[in-house]
Amino acid sequence: MIGQLLILILVLLVIPFVIGGLVTDADREGESLLFRWTGGQFLLWAGFQLICVPLILRERGFRSLVAAFWGYIVALLLLAAAVEIRRWPGERKFPLSCFRSWLRKIQFTDLLLWAAFWSVLLFQLVQAVRLAYADGDDAYYVAVSSITQDADTMYSKLAYTGGGTELDIRHGLAPFPIWISFLGRSSGMPAAIVAHVVLPVVLIAMTYGIFYQIGLKIFEKKDGRLPLFLLFTELLVLFGNYSIYTPENFMIARSRQGKAALGNIVIPFLLLLFLIFLKSLQEKRRIPPLLYLLFCAAATTGCLCSTLGALLVCMAVGIVGLLGSICYRKPGILAPLAVCCMPCVFYALMYLIL
Amino acid sequence: MWKDIVALFREYMGTGLIVIWFVISLIYLWINEKRKDLRILFLYMPVILLLLYFNPLFAELIYGVVGEEIYYRILWLLPVTVVIAYTCVSVYGQLAAGRQSQKDKAGATEWFCALCMAGIIVVSGSYIYASPAFSRAENLYHVPESVVHICDAINVPGREVMALFPAELVQYVRQYSPVTCMPYGRDATVDRWNYYPPICAEMDAEVIDLEKLVPLAREEGCHYSILPADKELLGKPEDYGWVRFGETDGYVIYRDSSVELVVPPF
Repeated sequence: MIGQLLILILVLLVIPFVIGGLVTDADREGESLLFRWTGGQFLLWAGFQLICVPLILRERGFRSLVAAFWGYIVALLLLAAAVEIRRWPGERKFPLSCFRSWLRKIQFTDLLLWAAFWSVLLFQLVQAVRLAYADGDDAYYVAVSSITQDADTMYSKLAYTGGGTELDIRHGLAPFPIWISFLGRSSGMPAAIVAHVVLPVVLIAMTYGIFYQIGLKIFEKKDGRLPLFLLFTELLVLFGNYSIYTPENFMIARSRQGKAALGNIVIPFLLLLFLIFLKSLQEKRRIPPLLYLLFCAAATTGCLCSTLGALLVCMAVGIVGLLGSICYRKPGILAPLAVCCMPCVFYALMYLIL
Repeated sequence: MWKDIVALFREYMGTGLIVIWFVISLIYLWINEKRKDLRILFLYMPVILLLLYFNPLFAELIYGVVGEEIYYRILWLLPVTVVIAYTCVSVYGQLAAGRQSQKDKAGATEWFCALCMAGIIVVSGSYIYASPAFSRAENLYHVPESVVHICDAINVPGREVMALFPAELVQYVRQYSPVTCMPYGRDATVDRWNYYPPICAEMDAEVIDLEKLVPLAREEGCHYSILPADKELLGKPEDYGWVRFGETDGYVIYRDSSVELVVPPF
């Protein structure tokens, strides 16, 4: 079990963090460790979608997907290593020294707020492991992950009852459960445990990581307001069960499902990218091409999570793009943003045609 | 169409209090927010999204593509959590900024205000872990222990087995054991899907009539049938070729001797 957990830590934390070095320049305001992790994970998810869907449609075995995706991971790691070597002589901020200087400057009340935030986050992570949520949809999504890990097929067995069937194209276009199978196969841990225990911990933490980055963009140097903002987000999540349809409910109760990742990781990450994008427009700076790459990765990840992701991402990018172009009088931003939505358009067309 | 959209929105917002705080936050930002980027993301975008959501023409288009069940997910694009949290901190910040003499240090008024806002959120929302769907996990698979024990007992290495499970267990079986097949699954337990096979009806009956159930299970090729131990049976299982295979966690496992189960050689 410890070996399996170590592999999962490698695949879910270390590898995305290293690969995230490729996109840190998308945000020019300093290198954030969390931005590296989330950015790297989005590159991995986007690649997974691009590799997985064609293999599903060609009814290839799961083994070939695992091999191809590991090839993609290794290629990105090599690229990230090359980029790091090129950057090496540059000025670097080491996390430990940054943490020390932050600790020296911080006020006691802020320290209390941070302690409260971490305690509530830890509580949620413990609850994710300790509590089971009876959701009927798991009978499909988690079963697909388990079947794929066990057999060598993808979406060609009936999830509810077993037995062969025609390829389930509709679900196959958003193969988030297959990514869970990949994690299971790579680590040797049963997909059901990955889905119910490991992923909630990682994805809930990632959501707050994105909220933290959003907070950093909003409050800039006003240090004390960031932990207060994060505490309010935690409260809104913890008391977000005002109906079973809210993204907060999905985040805590159904975090292993792709639609939960769409509502609580892809959409907040888009919001973060919009903040970086609009700030660049406001300061009349050139938009970094890597930011557009991250928009593309977020759009593709939206399609990986849910077929509805294509629509939601296009709507969000379309509305913010139009507003940005009008408010900042920059119609030129619309064309590259439209290109970023192309993966969504492509998958939506496939959904309609197939 | 309009009625459907409004009904869906009502269902989404529950008591509606959090949505009211969201709307109040939008008004606050409309009056106070100076940063253009935040106005675009936290004010204009949500307003346009709401206008789109409540537009019957747009709704009709989306209903046609994705179906009416998930139309509410467009509301996920509203940054409710971020906007309310940001507004609360802005209000706190405004009060703190007023205390110039104390060099930005927050005083009792600001903290009291922050606590009040936190209290309002707590009262307006609903505590997520209070949901009855949450229960203490019985194992790392987050499925009932009975499912683990039954599936382990009937598992035959190297092949799939067909087993008839009671409705309350079907949604967990294939999450834990993808080699355990069933004549019906979760699809038979959701009312709105209108799929209720006769074998499921027999299993759900208050008294299980083996005269009816056994032929149906045999027709489906069930090697095993799992029945609740406290369920009343009409007829003796052994008279129908069902051999008692074991009992665990309040369920009795029967092996149908007339359905062949070849164990693959290693």
